[in-house]
Amino acid sequence: MSTPTGSGASGFVNSSHLLPPTGATFVYRKLRLCSNGGGIEAVPDGVLPLDLERIRILLVGRGIPVVDARVMLIVSLDPEVTISKAGRLLFKTPDHAAAKRAFDRLRGWVELPPLESG
Amino acid sequence: MARGVMLMSGGIDSPVAIHYLLRQGHEVVAVHMDNRPFTDDSPLEKVVDHLALLRERYQQPIPLYLVPHGSTQTTLMRETDRHVGCVLCRRFMWRSAERIAEREGATFLATGEALGQVASQTLSNMRTATASVRLPIVRPLIGFDKQEIEAVAKEIGTYSISTRPGVCCQAVPDKPATRSNLIQILREEERVDVDQIVDDCVRRAVIL
Repeated sequence: MSTPTGSGASGFVNSSHLLPPTGATFVYRKLRLCSNGGGIEAVPDGVLPLDLERIRILLVGRGIPVVDARVMLIVSLDPEVTISKAGRLLFKTPDHAAAKRAFDRLRGWVELPPLESG
Repeated sequence: MARGVMLMSGGIDSPVAIHYLLRQGHEVVAVHMDNRPFTDDSPLEKVVDHLALLRERYQQPIPLYLVPHGSTQTTLMRETDRHVGCVLCRRFMWRSAERIAEREGATFLATGEALGQVASQTLSNMRTATASVRLPIVRPLIGFDKQEIEAVAKEIGTYSISTRPGVCCQAVPDKPATRSNLIQILREEERVDVDQIVDDCVRRAVIL
């Protein structure tokens, strides 16, 4: 499980006032259909402050196009993913397996927390 | 009868509003503000299907302008107060619609808004949003409640299209302002180049 440290390639914020309490860990709740049924969302179990600028740099460094809207990033993966500053991810597909694949890829690149088990 | 430009979102209301305009014998030009990448393809697909149905029903051509709006959303999100983002967004939509109305010789703008349904449709926000244009705005559904609109949508066959799954607009802030004042909005707009944004959107618009 990832611990927010603000170091290395992590996408967590490195501003101390935004960091969660020492030792706190996050998981993403299970992937689920969003309210309008057109996408799959991953919601952290709390406000997960992400350093979007750092994530953007990491992804662009891999040659992945990213729209930077300041409070969210829109990442041109297949499917497209929206990453909000509070940690919510939205995969623009209703296909659970495709969303999970994109989640796993993204998590490997920017060290996001894991999905809850079970 | 007059010619008007109608904003179409893919939702339940706008095809019902067009239905009333067409039924009264008006000509309609449809405009869809394309919010991708803040949405998926579904709003556009719904609008295309709505119009196919309405063209067939009323035997009218109903041209559709697809206006790119995603880059405008990005600029607004980066440069302006998120709290009033929906009002600012609407003001840019109206401006593009008015430009297209000028091009199309239309004398009014129209929308499926009904009073108080969502944050962007409070009287305060409607007034602030529409202060960005000069043409009169027609709202055939203004006094309808949701059940009434849905009943008509089912009757004319557009409801099942509108309610297909889709990704809702990601640019909507968590707590959008339900009240806004024009002075505040104009101050926010000073942070961006309004004319350039609208010029760019209308220039890149395509007719489907």
